[in-house]
This record gives sequence, C-alpha cells and structure tokens, in this order.
Amino acid sequence: MGKKELKVAFLLALRSLQRGSRSSVLLTIIIVAMCFTNMVFLPGLFNGIGEGIITQVVDYEVGNVLVSPKTGEQYVTDLDATLDLINSMPGVERATPHLSKGATLKYRQRMLGVSVKAIKPGDEKYVSPLYSKMVAGSYLGEDDTGEVIIGKPVAGDATIKQEDEFQPSLGGVRVGDSITIEYANGYTKDYRVKGIYYAGWSSTDNNVIITWSDMEQVEGKTLDYAEFITVKAKPGYEEKFIKDELQQYGISEYVQTTGDLLKKVMGSVMQSFAIINLVSLVVGIIITTVVLFIVITIKTINSRKQIGILRAIGVDKEVIMHTYGLQVVIMAVLGIFFGVILTAILAVYLAAHPIVTPEWKAYLFLTPMDYLVNSLILFLASVVAGYVPAWQVSREDIQTAMRA
Amino acid sequence: MIEITDLKRLYHMGNVEVRALDGVTLNIEKGEFLGIMGASGSGKTTLLHLLGLLDAPTSGRIMIDGLDVLSLTDYEKTMFRLYKLGYVFQDYALVPDLTMMENVALPAMLRKDRSEEQVKNDSFWILQRIGLCDRRDHLPRELSGGQQQRVSIARAMVNRPDILFADEPCANLDSENSKMVLELFHEINEEMKQTIIMVSHEDWHKEYFHRIVRLKDGKVTSDGKNHSAH
Repeated sequence: MGKKELKVAFLLALRSLQRGSRSSVLLTIIIVAMCFTNMVFLPGLFNGIGEGIITQVVDYEVGNVLVSPKTGEQYVTDLDATLDLINSMPGVERATPHLSKGATLKYRQRMLGVSVKAIKPGDEKYVSPLYSKMVAGSYLGEDDTGEVIIGKPVAGDATIKQEDEFQPSLGGVRVGDSITIEYANGYTKDYRVKGIYYAGWSSTDNNVIITWSDMEQVEGKTLDYAEFITVKAKPGYEEKFIKDELQQYGISEYVQTTGDLLKKVMGSVMQSFAIINLVSLVVGIIITTVVLFIVITIKTINSRKQIGILRAIGVDKEVIMHTYGLQVVIMAVLGIFFGVILTAILAVYLAAHPIVTPEWKAYLFLTPMDYLVNSLILFLASVVAGYVPAWQVSREDIQTAMRA
Repeated sequence: MIEITDLKRLYHMGNVEVRALDGVTLNIEKGEFLGIMGASGSGKTTLLHLLGLLDAPTSGRIMIDGLDVLSLTDYEKTMFRLYKLGYVFQDYALVPDLTMMENVALPAMLRKDRSEEQVKNDSFWILQRIGLCDRRDHLPRELSGGQQQRVSIARAMVNRPDILFADEPCANLDSENSKMVLELFHEINEEMKQTIIMVSHEDWHKEYFHRIVRLKDGKVTSDGKNHSAH
C-alpha cells in the first residue's frame, strides 16, 4: 500500500469522524478514556498504597536498615559501642535506639493501655520525620524529662462521647495537660503533654513517646540496651550496601533492610495486588476491544453500500480497510490522550488529598512507564478491535455490498 | 473496442435457476453512446455490472481493447476500474462525508500518475464543466438530486476513463433534471468522443443514444443504430 492510498484512507477516515455522527465518536472516545482510567487507576492506587506503606515503614518503623537482637536474645546489648560503630560507618546518616514498655495511661476518668516508646529525640530527627508531624505543641528535646508526646488517636477528641469513639482514647488531652503513666514494673509517674502528633501511620500514632532519660528513670538504671536500632542511610547509599557494611564491621546483631522486612510482611499482599491489577487490566482491555469492535462493526454494516460503491469506482479494499481501521486508531489515540489527562488530574488530586484510613494513606502512584505500557496495550487492543471488522467488510463481494 | 462473446450469468435462488443473461454477444465501438434498454428484469444492469467488472459471468468472454478482462486478478480489476472505467449510479452514490470537490477528486487521488496539483486542477475543471464549481465545498446533502448526479458524472469523468457506464442515472430525477443529465452525457460524448454505455428503461431517453441494444429475458432482442439521435 502506497503513500497515496494511505492518504486517501486517512482523508476518508478523518472526514467520517469529522462529519459523521459526532455523538458516537465522542462517546467512543470517552469509553476509551474511561477504559484507560480503569486500567491504570486501581493498579496505580495499589502501587500508591504499597509505596505509602513502604514510605511509612521507612519513616516511622525501621529507617533503611533495622538492627535487632540476635535470635534468642531480648535486646541489642552494648548499645553505646554499637551505636558509635554504626554511626562511624560510611553511608550511615544516623543510628538511633528504641525501647518500648507496656503501660497504662490515666487521664481524668479514662484509662488506656498503650506502648510507651523511648527515643533519643536529637538522633531520631535524622531518622524519622515524626518531629515535623506535630499537630499541637512541640517535639521532645534531648534532655526533656517528665514530658511526653502522644499520638492524636491516643489524645482523643473531647467532643466525641466515649461510646462513639472509633478506638479508645484519653478523651481529649490537650498540650499542657498532665497524664499519669503506670508501667508494667509498677513504676508510676505524672508527665506533662508537650506535644500531640499525627503521622497517619497507625502503630506510631497509637504510641506515647518519652525521652531515653525518662525511660532510664522507669528502668531505674542506665540503659545500655535497646529493643532495636533504626539506621538511616545517607542519600545515594543503598540499603543493601549498609547492611553488608554493618555485617562486615562486626555487628553481630540481626541486620535487615527495609526491603527484607517488606518482603516478609508485604509479599503476599503485593501478590494479591498484582492479581487484582491483572484482572483489572484484562477486564479493561476486553471492554475496550468489545466496544470498539461493536462500534466499527455497526459502522461498517451501515456503510456496506458505500463500501461497494467505493470499490466499484476503483478504491482498493486495502484502502477501505484502512479507512475504518484508521478511524479506530484516531479514536483510540484521542481516548488514550484524554485518559492520560484524566488519570494525571486524579493523581495530582490524590497527592494533595490522599485516601486516609486509620492504618495507612494512599495516593495514585503512576510512573511514565505505567502510562506508556498501558497506552500501548490499549492502543494495540483498539487496533485489533477496529481492523478485524474493517478487514472482514473490505473483503466482501462488490455486488453483495452494493445491494446492502 | 469491447467484444462480448456469449456472455451468461446464472443466479441460483434456492432450487430455481435464474438466467439473468443468456448468451449475449455484442461489439461496442470507441466513442459510441450506447443505450441498453429493456423492461425491468431483462438483464440490463447485470450486463452493465459484468462490463464494469463489478460481477463475474457464469461463462463467456469480455475483451476490452484486446485484453481479456475476466482473467485479471481482483487487484488488477480494481486498478482497471480506476484507470479505464467510470461509473455513474442510479442513486448518485456520493460519499456523504466528503465535499463535492473531495468526491470528484477521490478517484484521481488514487492514481499514481497524477500529482496533487493535477488532481486539483482536473477536479476544478470538471466541476466547472458541469457548472457546479461554486458548490465545490458543499456536502452532498446540501445539493439537489440533479446536482448530485452531475457531481457523480464529474467523479466518473475525472480520470478521463475509456468507458463511462451509467446505470439508470435519471431514475431518481424529475424530467427537467433528467434532461439536464442526458444533455451532459451527450456533450461529453460529442466533445471528448467518450464511449458511454447507459442503461435505461425510459423510452424518451433513446433520442440521445447513437445505438440501442434491447434486452428481454437476458437475451438481445434488437441491436441497431438510432438515426433519430441528437
């Protein structure tokens, strides 16, 4: 097929779209755009949930690398030496210890069982962005004693009755209020609430955080041990590099990267997401293919006589096939284009207003490759859907077509 | 120029065999304005479709300028129609989404030996010739039946075909428009020495034909010069 034939096919296709039923063309383009959105939205959202969870796990749980006790041991011991060693390694931004104790909070008539976590606020700032998540009051200072910061769900809301609460809380603690913490070892102390934070990550938001010095008072001794150490890598350093380095430098504790941990925790979840994504993709492709197939089949059936006439005046069947095929190509390209714009708008909107649940928050995570791959898949499906009926009708006998 | 030998076309409608053409033999000379006349069902359109390579006969032979056109492949027949034949249909058969200019230019655009400039000039010239140049940017639905049929003739003529076929071109027109169309055919035949083969069942059309072939039940019943032609 030469350039002239292709030009004529394109002219006939373009004019048919321009001067034919505009509502049908518009509807088809919208359907393709919706199918594209359907194909990328759910996978994008799942990727967003996954990315959100990874980010939050890194930010609030383990940093880039987690150093936890050896098998059979309760704590990472010889803490100061271990921290000094880790902090001196190339690629390590900062290592910081964590120690949690079960406790009961008391505030007015309310009692609440929580986990009280001790941190070193100065080091913690390098590892976790929690300091920037204060919704009231301020973050802990390195030498603070007798002060705590608490998660927003723990503080609660004074305007909500206890029986209407989603989860138990202290019923509306404000900054400056005093709360009593009764530890499992019997130690009891009143603390001033210095700040209230909200990270959007359930296990962090349900904590009460005190300084390392305060925890030493609870334990009644200098703490040279921790439950675990979180390590933040400097920009440009990979988690695996840090892990290998820690092991080479003689850290005998159990060292895991975020990736190692997520593989264990999120592996099956990600597999389920992948299956749902695949189903969503296949359904989207089938819908688009069927819709375009029907649209072009109806169009060719309605144009059979005209197709017969065109063949009679010397228009080759290849040109006729491309006339209808190109109509689908044009509609598919426009549909995909609008689908890309629509999903991009949704992505921007969800980035500004993520879907928030008590456990996690999600946004639309789509890479240029996601757009490209889905566009190509939909485009190919559209071409098949358009060219099959176009090919069939172009092969029809002239007499039969003209009598239609 | 056109030699038709023992041309037969049989149709099977269930168990019934219909002989649409039953052994037609004819010779048509270059430059003739030939009228094929006969009652409905006599085989006029079937003969025209066979000559125009729109259908294949059951048996027989058609030679055009010494070429056995029935032996051509499907693609070769398409190219033969494009380069050598022009067709005017009863119901104009213009592409509804194309302007008059685009409709006329369509067959010329497909010819490999025509530049864009030539296509434009030829289309413009032929529209001017039929007096519809000022309507070139209109769509078919914006024109009367007579005007549409004139554009259909222009489309058939744009490639300067060797043979122009017209299948009852006045069937959907009133007598005034019919006369206008027939005058146009007459002028084309006179001025360009264009071979025209036209099917008609209207008796008054015969005054335009140089030669009249009458068919009945798929057979030629008379074939002779029309001495009273224009």
